[in-house]
Amino acid sequence: MRVERRNLIDADRGAVWKIVSDPDRYPSFMARLERWESANQQPPGVGARYFVHWKIGSVPVGGLVEVVEFDDLRDLAWVGITGINLRGRIRLRDAGEGRTRVTFRLSYQAPGGIWGYIADRVAMRQVGRTTTETLKRLKAIAESGG
Amino acid sequence: MSTLGDLKDWMREQVASRVPKADLDQRDPDYIRDQLPGTWLLASLYFRADVQHLDRIPADGPVLLVGNHSGGNVPPDTFVFTLAFCSYFGVERPFYQLAHNLVVSAPPLGWLRKFGTVAANPENAKLALESGAALLVYPGGDYEVFRPSWERHKVDFDGRMGYVKLAREAGVPIVPVASVGGQESALFLNRGQWLAKLLMADKLLRLKSIPISLALPWGLNISDLAGHIPLPTKIAIEVQHPIDVDGDDQAVHDKVMASLQAGVDRLAARRRFPVIG
Repeated sequence: MRVERRNLIDADRGAVWKIVSDPDRYPSFMARLERWESANQQPPGVGARYFVHWKIGSVPVGGLVEVVEFDDLRDLAWVGITGINLRGRIRLRDAGEGRTRVTFRLSYQAPGGIWGYIADRVAMRQVGRTTTETLKRLKAIAESGG
Repeated sequence: MSTLGDLKDWMREQVASRVPKADLDQRDPDYIRDQLPGTWLLASLYFRADVQHLDRIPADGPVLLVGNHSGGNVPPDTFVFTLAFCSYFGVERPFYQLAHNLVVSAPPLGWLRKFGTVAANPENAKLALESGAALLVYPGGDYEVFRPSWERHKVDFDGRMGYVKLAREAGVPIVPVASVGGQESALFLNRGQWLAKLLMADKLLRLKSIPISLALPWGLNISDLAGHIPLPTKIAIEVQHPIDVDGDDQAVHDKVMASLQAGVDRLAARRRFPVIG
């Protein structure tokens, strides 16, 4: 399944990037986050690993993720190493007059054949709400000066 | 009398010979991973489960998880917690659960061994902890799990505290795991200890109870050996702070019981209706 949400933030890309590139800031804007811990103490960038779990349904869902793209002021992407198959991306683009268009994508696939597919479909609405809420919080933080 | 004695010995041997030897290698992380979506659906949609404070469990190393047990022979709390643990720490972290001999030796439940379920005895428990795994135990679970539904928020290990010695010898902390909701999955009326004694099941099968309940689809359900269809009761689980084993057994046991009962009371206070939650 792939869930994508976008919003427009009244702050320049540098200000938004400062927030999304700082691992310590994630608990403040990532919605329904149950666990966020550095797993290899590596500085932010490609190769840094984190334990990430969101409360989806009855239990925390996620696993160990690794940052695979850390393109300054543009893209930050990660893939899941353990847990469900997961890819995530936060994409920043100029929207003119000091504004930034932010895209947040989450692609995920649970194991287990047909049950995994049903679980993915059932979780989709909640994952959608989580990504929407995350962008709202990011907007509020960035527009209040970070 | 000697015929009766022989019969008892024979039955004891039959049960004992069917209990699989503990083989920690039977746990299969890939199998567990494939089952997680199905259990997630059941836990999220049917039982509307809510598991809190998994972060209180030490992130690595062996740990003894001690829970209160509910739900008769179909205890939803075990599978919800197993799902939560495997989801939070990953199926890669070794995790075992102790279960009654009759559970691990029942042929239709052979798949439980792939989840890491082993027969409840001190040797298996020690083996699991020495291997560095997390171990879930329900002291006195076969007694507690059949308490009447009106005692559903009472933690009662029937005085069992062997788990303290186990944790002390293995040098691991105890993490209490409180849960509510399971005892509302059927209407449990009586533990039926008198019936177990009458039928000598306590001596032959290590069954202290032959419980009497009203449960789907049977109506009046005696023994629950064939299980039942649990009502869609809301399951709430709260992991408590770790307790170090640094006093005598009774003192540590009292701490664990106090922690569990406080957790159960907190969860029960948030519950407005039986079953619905």
